[in-house]
Amino acid sequence: MIVAAPTREQTRARYPEAEGFVERNGVRIFWERYGEGEPTILLPPTWELVHSRCWKMQIPYLARHGRVVTFDPPGNGRSDRPLEEAAYERSEMAEYAVAVLDATEVERAIVVSWCDMGEWLILTAEHPERVSGLISIAPAIPVHEREVPEYPFDEELDTDEGWAKENRHYWLRDWAGYVEFFISKMFTEPHSTKQVEDAVGWGLETDAETLLVSFRGWDTKEIDPATTVELCAKVRCPVLVVHGTEDELVEPERARSLAAELGAAAVFLEGSGHGPHARDPVQVNLILRDFIASLA
Amino acid sequence: MIIAAPTREQTRARYPDEEGFVERNGVRIFYEVYGDAPTTFLLFPTGPISHSRLWKAQIPYLSRYFRVIVFDPRGNGRSDRPDTPEAYSRWEFVEDGRAILEATGAETALLGGLCHGGGSALMLAATHPAVALGVLTFAPFIPMLTPEHLNYRSFPFDEQLETHDGWAKWNGQYLRRDYRGFLEFFFSEQLREPHSTKQIEDCVEWGLEGSPEPLIVSRAAPPPWEGEEDARALCRRVRCPVLVVHGDLDGCQTRERAATVAELTGGTLVTMEGTGHFPQARQPVKTNELMRDFAESIVPPKPKVKTWTRALSRRRRALYISSPIGLGHARRDVAIAKELRKLHPDLEIDWLAQDPVTQVLEAEGERIHPASAELANESTHIESESAEHDLHVFQSIRRMDEILVANFMLFLDLVREEQYDVWIGDEAWEVDYFLHENPELKSAAYVWLTDFVGWLPFEDGGEREAFVTADYNAEMIEHIARFPRIRDRAVFVGNPEDVVPDTFGADLPGIRDWTQQHYDFSGYVTGFEPVTDREKLRAELGYGAREQVCIVTVGGSGVGGHLLRRVIEAFPAAKASVPGLRMIVVAGPRLDPGGLPSHPGLEVHAYVHELYRHLAACDLAVVQGGLTTSMELTANGRPFLYFPLRHHFEQNFHVRHRLNRYGAGRCMDFETDGPEEIAAAIAEEIGREVDYRPVETDGAARAAELIAELL
Repeated sequence: MIVAAPTREQTRARYPEAEGFVERNGVRIFWERYGEGEPTILLPPTWELVHSRCWKMQIPYLARHGRVVTFDPPGNGRSDRPLEEAAYERSEMAEYAVAVLDATEVERAIVVSWCDMGEWLILTAEHPERVSGLISIAPAIPVHEREVPEYPFDEELDTDEGWAKENRHYWLRDWAGYVEFFISKMFTEPHSTKQVEDAVGWGLETDAETLLVSFRGWDTKEIDPATTVELCAKVRCPVLVVHGTEDELVEPERARSLAAELGAAAVFLEGSGHGPHARDPVQVNLILRDFIASLA
Repeated sequence: MIIAAPTREQTRARYPDEEGFVERNGVRIFYEVYGDAPTTFLLFPTGPISHSRLWKAQIPYLSRYFRVIVFDPRGNGRSDRPDTPEAYSRWEFVEDGRAILEATGAETALLGGLCHGGGSALMLAATHPAVALGVLTFAPFIPMLTPEHLNYRSFPFDEQLETHDGWAKWNGQYLRRDYRGFLEFFFSEQLREPHSTKQIEDCVEWGLEGSPEPLIVSRAAPPPWEGEEDARALCRRVRCPVLVVHGDLDGCQTRERAATVAELTGGTLVTMEGTGHFPQARQPVKTNELMRDFAESIVPPKPKVKTWTRALSRRRRALYISSPIGLGHARRDVAIAKELRKLHPDLEIDWLAQDPVTQVLEAEGERIHPASAELANESTHIESESAEHDLHVFQSIRRMDEILVANFMLFLDLVREEQYDVWIGDEAWEVDYFLHENPELKSAAYVWLTDFVGWLPFEDGGEREAFVTADYNAEMIEHIARFPRIRDRAVFVGNPEDVVPDTFGADLPGIRDWTQQHYDFSGYVTGFEPVTDREKLRAELGYGAREQVCIVTVGGSGVGGHLLRRVIEAFPAAKASVPGLRMIVVAGPRLDPGGLPSHPGLEVHAYVHELYRHLAACDLAVVQGGLTTSMELTANGRPFLYFPLRHHFEQNFHVRHRLNRYGAGRCMDFETDGPEEIAAAIAEEIGREVDYRPVETDGAARAAELIAELL
């Protein structure tokens, strides 16, 4: 695949009313705030492969009906790129969110997450006073034991075909190759060139060295199933799980199990991949709006 | 206006699961409970001018999601009719509602009401906040809150008036003298939306089940409070969520009052434009949606797992809604579906249909959507409306309005959950009517099929029937003119010449011209291949060469017993004049063959397998005037006698016109043709070589082509 090089950021439909940095343990996190009034919607980051622009299809719409806060993860966008692994801990991510909510003077927010690896479940479970509802798009939170990956992450491999690209040595050798491969698995829907280009562009705003600080395979990023079950038991607010049936990065079964564990509502998007909010923004925006309205 | 006399209650779409009385101070109040959902939705009646049937368009839908309780007000319906002013204090109605909640074990409830009942709901919520989950109030009547509507202030109620024109009818003496006159005036003023004849008739009928006395006596009832400030304080005491709905043409409660209620309760005000005092009756679909949405915003439904399929991942799907009125639709619809699959082999077709259509579909291996099981049955209703060889089909369809709303709501729930490319409605009256009434609900291509256009009156229905049929036609014409985007295809199952040469009514267009402008014509759809070798077929069916076979059938309906008896009476005389006569009477699924008289040489069967083959092989058929059977006989070139049902405008006008064009059949009159005439006609017609206009055999393919263009 040949994907165009990232260029300057394209024109936004809406620019933030306020932006700023919040510092926690020496790490500066960049945030943006859009719109006014309640409810407040927090659009937190996902894996630092991408940054807050991944919510570009949601922000202008949601900001018409309330306040929207988003921020960049450590390691990408305008946030710092710390070299300490602790700065990328799941629980630390949740704390960044609390710091951003404090900085933007948000008491409580409805959290809309993408590919949550446990950090937003932690936020919801451990800070119930700050979260009034959770929508989890394509959650990667494991309820059951994970499958062992096909290729070891740290070892030198004799192939770089397919998922063998998810490997420390390949990352360092051809970061762009990995990003393009991974993003192509994210958008399995036909005719997704623009969504792929966008996400590849964001991936190239960071680098292998930064991601390697905290990544040695998915089990180093995702919380473990026992923690999931423990956290789920603490969640009191309404939860909605949204997942594409053609998601090649996270099997829809995880969403099904998570919804069952939480007693949550679920919407399965038939034919959708891992980034439905980017690829089917209208439908996802309507799903978000309806859920948000139901919490009013 | 002349409004038809009240008759027995029309068929309901849903009957209560429980009913009972509560007694307060010697006054018994009748209530009904529908469904057993965990959340109770109590719908207050208005004052004694009406009763609980007011909610007939809501009950079947809401009871799918809530436990719905309605009751008759003191002074009407099955509740008692006390005669003291005190018994009609506004607080008595409120307490009646509360007593019913207690009697039915509801600790909390959503409260709904209209006008007087809308006030009751608010009064209960204000005084018993622990009971009220939310209040949905239409045109709330809260006395003294704001000035009364001008209509009530134009003339004194208690004085003798020189005139009783207009609102001077709101007068005690007039009410006692001509209550019907008052009700007709009052409800016509409150249902100011055009084409509201049925809703007005309903309201007048319910009003006449009560009397003017409670309305007059209650004026001396103790007021619920002293003045405006008390009324405002009451509204302020309401703590639960409130939704106020008000129609801008309301002639009973003012917008100012509705807005004040919303303001003081902190509620939401929804204005329905172009709407009068009874949105629940005249705009039932929108009202039902408002009610369910409001209720679910307070009591959210259990979390569910849903699926949405992205556009390009969707399989091609059609939802076929086949009317069960007149049994002929099933076969032609199956034929069209088969042709449609030839053009789009990947097309999945789901059927929303009910018995007896589903019997045909099941035999054909078609997929019947599970929601079909929840449809309120239309054919049972139609049958219940029939008398001796008599079915006033226009009135029967009007008296099916509750069933039509209920079935449309079911359709709506279904198409909200599942995506179809096209909805095909073969005389699916509810889909066609309510899509035009709620055009924003159309979310797929839509095809309308019919074999007749235009409601036609009978002379014995007088001016009123002529007026009402024309009014129905006029509304349909306006619907099509205003929202041409609703019907992507309108297919007339027949040819332009099959359309009757009449007009839609006074000052309305000619039916044939209008239909040619607004329809495509598929030609007739028989749903089967015509028989080519009749001798072979006769041999297969065991009919001897010398036998003269006469088949007598009334299709699947239960209306035909009288006709069968009369034809059987003619059998001896016919047998005498037709050597070799073999008469086979088919009673059908709804009539007991054992209950029919017998004669030597006469065969009576409950059921004949593949009856259409016997009809193709016979020497004569005796049938009712239904389109399907008579056109089957026409297509196969068989002589037949047909007896249109009395007051069945379709059989008497539309079908008869079509058969005349084909030169087919001999029309008989059940009124005047006795056994003698029938025997003579049998003798004349049996075995006769006919010269009918040929019936096209490509109708299903042509209809399918018109539909396929949308896929």
